[in-house]
Amino acid sequence: MSKILSYALAILTIAAFVAIVILRQATDFTLDPFAPYQSLITDGILNTIYVSIISLLGSLVLGFVLYLLSISRFKYFVALDDVFTEIIYGTPLLVLIVVSAFVIGPAFGTYNRNLMGTIAIIIYMTPYMKNVYKSAFSSITGEQYMAMDLFGFTPFQRYRYIIIPQVIRILMPPMMNNFSLIIKGSALLNVLAYGELYYAIRVAQSKTFAFVEGYILMWALYLLITIPLSQLTKYIERRWAL
Amino acid sequence: MKIELKNLSHSYDVEVLHDLNFILENYNSVAIIGVSGSGKSTLIRLMSGLEDPTTGELFVDDYSVKDPVYRKKVGFVFQSHNLFPHLTLKRNITLVLEKTRDIEKERAEEIALKYLKLLHLEDQVDKLPRNVSGGQAQRASIARALSIDPEVIFLDEPTSSLDPILTHEVLTAVEELRDLGKQFIFVTHVMSFVKDFADYVIFMDQGNIVEHGVPSILDNPSSEELKQFMHRVR
Repeated sequence: MSKILSYALAILTIAAFVAIVILRQATDFTLDPFAPYQSLITDGILNTIYVSIISLLGSLVLGFVLYLLSISRFKYFVALDDVFTEIIYGTPLLVLIVVSAFVIGPAFGTYNRNLMGTIAIIIYMTPYMKNVYKSAFSSITGEQYMAMDLFGFTPFQRYRYIIIPQVIRILMPPMMNNFSLIIKGSALLNVLAYGELYYAIRVAQSKTFAFVEGYILMWALYLLITIPLSQLTKYIERRWAL
Repeated sequence: MKIELKNLSHSYDVEVLHDLNFILENYNSVAIIGVSGSGKSTLIRLMSGLEDPTTGELFVDDYSVKDPVYRKKVGFVFQSHNLFPHLTLKRNITLVLEKTRDIEKERAEEIALKYLKLLHLEDQVDKLPRNVSGGQAQRASIARALSIDPEVIFLDEPTSSLDPILTHEVLTAVEELRDLGKQFIFVTHVMSFVKDFADYVIFMDQGNIVEHGVPSILDNPSSEELKQFMHRVR
């Protein structure tokens, strides 16, 4: 069976399941009640994308810093990375968001909950981003460094022409996976009443009382954001695969 | 070529070379042989300037191997081909020429094609290392080493990761380089190649130079260690 046909069939299977579930509901399924809330929901989508991109960039930077700590000559930095990573691995994102916004923020005089919530996502993703860097940089063998030494490449040239071009290709797919995690994780910012997609739909739900429809819509909209992204990831993997 | 080792010792966790003193002159193709762990790869790395010795000094053609001028005159072929995996065979060469030898693009391209052709790789120039055979990659690596116009080329067991057929292919290609006027220092386990290509042989055992001389010493070893070694590799 051709690949396209297989995928079409797979999608149909899932769609059929969803259709059956919807048809078996006690009331008729319609998204009409959400029509008046279009701009609220559109803002929600944009806010989700916005906060996700900020979180991605922030965690990319902090993840790199943590990576540098983890390979440091100073044992204190290595230990700091270890302890930090262990704590984050065991912390639910929701807890981190609430604690950041209501405990850590106020301790430093910041009552901007959206900011603290976003920082919480960044902090949460940092160890995962560190791992992305770790696996990417470990792919450059010691012998390659020896060859760079031998030919006399300057440090700038090493990074520009040899290390970064190789690392980027390995870094991209897991980084995009993390981006997907960030997008889904940003839904938890609703506890701070930040107007991202989850929160926007919850607001609409509370006014329309169309709870089932609201969650279906929410599901579809998250997929609308994440599926193109994962397709892009696959495309990049194919194109840049080593 | 002149090689001079003065009180040369080298340690990693344990000492692998023990106070070597040695002078060699007027040979152009020197083979270093010995069992694994005898220190031969360490010696070739020290001679090429890839690593600095723990103590002692090395001179090749009266250059200290630490001299940056000397380092620009050295080509090195590693056990594994060690090409940059994200670059085509040709780009592996042109990048080195353009960035570290200040050769302009067109000229770098010419040089790259010339040496890839010399190693019979003219059909493979635009392929990535992972898309060619191990033998072809190793030959490309030799082309890269030659492209910087080195005076001395070091080969550190260039065929150790290849099967017998590819080994033959690579070593035949190296033998064809005899007339380039380059000097070779190489480590290998292929004794037929030593006899064909080397004009001097250094035999190492447990971090010492135990025996050395023209390749005929392999047929009439005087030390017990070389006798045993020849018996084992045969």
